[in-house]
Amino acid sequence: MSEMNAPTELPKPKTVEIPETARTLPSGEREFMLDVSTSDLEINMGPQHPATHGVMRILIRTDGEVVTGGQVHLGYLHRCAEKIGENVEWLQYLPYTDRYDYLSAMNNNLGYSLAVEAVMGVEIPRRATILRTLCAELNRIGSHLVAFGTYGLDIGAFTPFFYCFREREWMMALFEKICGARLTYSYIRIGGVFNDAPVGWLKEVERFCDVFEEKWQEYYDLLAVNHIFVKRTADIGVISPEMAVDYGLTGPMLRGSGVDFDLRRDVPYMAYDEICKAGVFDIPLGTGEKGTVGDCWDRVYVRLQEMMESIKIIRWCLGVIEDGPVIGDIPKVIKVPPGEAYVGIENPRGELGHYILSDGGKVARRCRVRGPSFCNVAVLEQLLPGTFLADSVAIIGSTDVVIGETDR
Amino acid sequence: MDFNSIHQRLLAINAPGVLSADTPRAADPEDKADKGRAGEAFVLIDRSEALNFLLAVRDDAELAFDMLVDLTGTDPDAEDEDLWLNLHLLSLAHGHRLAVKAMVPKANAVVPSMVAAHMAAHYHERECSEMFGIHFEGNPDLRNILLPDDWIGFPLRKDYEFPKEYHGVSCE
Repeated sequence: MSEMNAPTELPKPKTVEIPETARTLPSGEREFMLDVSTSDLEINMGPQHPATHGVMRILIRTDGEVVTGGQVHLGYLHRCAEKIGENVEWLQYLPYTDRYDYLSAMNNNLGYSLAVEAVMGVEIPRRATILRTLCAELNRIGSHLVAFGTYGLDIGAFTPFFYCFREREWMMALFEKICGARLTYSYIRIGGVFNDAPVGWLKEVERFCDVFEEKWQEYYDLLAVNHIFVKRTADIGVISPEMAVDYGLTGPMLRGSGVDFDLRRDVPYMAYDEICKAGVFDIPLGTGEKGTVGDCWDRVYVRLQEMMESIKIIRWCLGVIEDGPVIGDIPKVIKVPPGEAYVGIENPRGELGHYILSDGGKVARRCRVRGPSFCNVAVLEQLLPGTFLADSVAIIGSTDVVIGETDR
Repeated sequence: MDFNSIHQRLLAINAPGVLSADTPRAADPEDKADKGRAGEAFVLIDRSEALNFLLAVRDDAELAFDMLVDLTGTDPDAEDEDLWLNLHLLSLAHGHRLAVKAMVPKANAVVPSMVAAHMAAHYHERECSEMFGIHFEGNPDLRNILLPDDWIGFPLRKDYEFPKEYHGVSCE
């Protein structure tokens, strides 16, 4: 018999001596406090954990219920996107962009295309620009629906998730009709978009907008102002505006803290200059309506409101779209003149930046991707200490991290 | 502000380490080999002054580059002696951007850490150091972030050799 299996004597329970300071109860029993000793406990969360939205691993150090430290470990989904970008042709890299933020592939296509176009200096046809804007905003709705629905799951609200996926399903069906793919579109190409919208597609988008505006109220009633949800998220994970700027947070994370900045308005690209001048959409900000400015509730509510703003932009696009070509004069094999450019666009999660360096050939010299989630998760190490363990899931979920993008 | 006025302002406030400005230009029609330079303008700075430069442009009211959007490296060529350090700054108040570049010699790739100016630099520096082998002096925690801790070599350098095996698993 090995040593492991040898029967061992169970430790005897310690006998406790009753100290003289013990209180005597009316029943005659003696009552006193035991000296309880606690020690720090390190908890490993992930990489396979539903609340980490992918394969992110977080080491959490706790003292009882209170988190005293958090350390984020990334890299479980690293697929060498930047190295691949230096080895494949310009257009061949486009499908790889789908795969970093797989919830908003249209926006990724757009960011990469705009960066390459900034070096090439090509002109984009009007219809293509409007179609791009429309698809990017439609995808923003889909992405925020996942963010909002799964955040409910994190907190423990199961039903809103299904409501969100109901509308997202329609959005994906719309994209399937226009480009054949449901998740990885590669629809927005260098020079324009690869295919015109099929007959009747724009009409269906309009119908989607009508229905969505009604359904939006359901999300609001069901989750956003739900008393339990508000209790779980208000005043939790507060990010001050200064901290948000210092950590380079962008998108709803930044606006949730009340910083009024949106790349679509402040550094406009494509048709957004025109859209902002027409006063089509507002930029929702965190106001601290239910708690403090910059808490989890604010970030979630900013995302919820942004969906409605996207609907306004889509309606504007449907109003101004006119017939014409959908792709510019682009050769089959793209050669980009020597030069470099950095282009940042407003992805649903924040600023998606592409830094492109070309030496004049068919392949990039450098293809840098600045993912918004990568910068947004950095703030967790600062946010987690001092919170309760149960709130850490609410805080991680409110960053709306997509691991495909942090790890690239 | 457009790039030229940003550059003028940088010179006016005597921002530390500013060397020159590089703007896109058309190809010289006389010279067949010259293809010009497309894209966007950038400012070249001295790498040892990178932190002081960021602090200066952050605190100047007219420039107010309060957000470090991106920090990365570039290896232009295996034959080149220098790596590039690329910084991209954004001003939330004015909505203007600035691309900044610094030359970092491969033989002595050491740059002062920029965490003191922007916390956003921390994760970017960790990524940059594992991918390019640039050491950021003063960064408190320069562990690998995307790669395993025992990874050999700097993958985004042009002379990087792909590993033949990893922990006994053949990669060929």
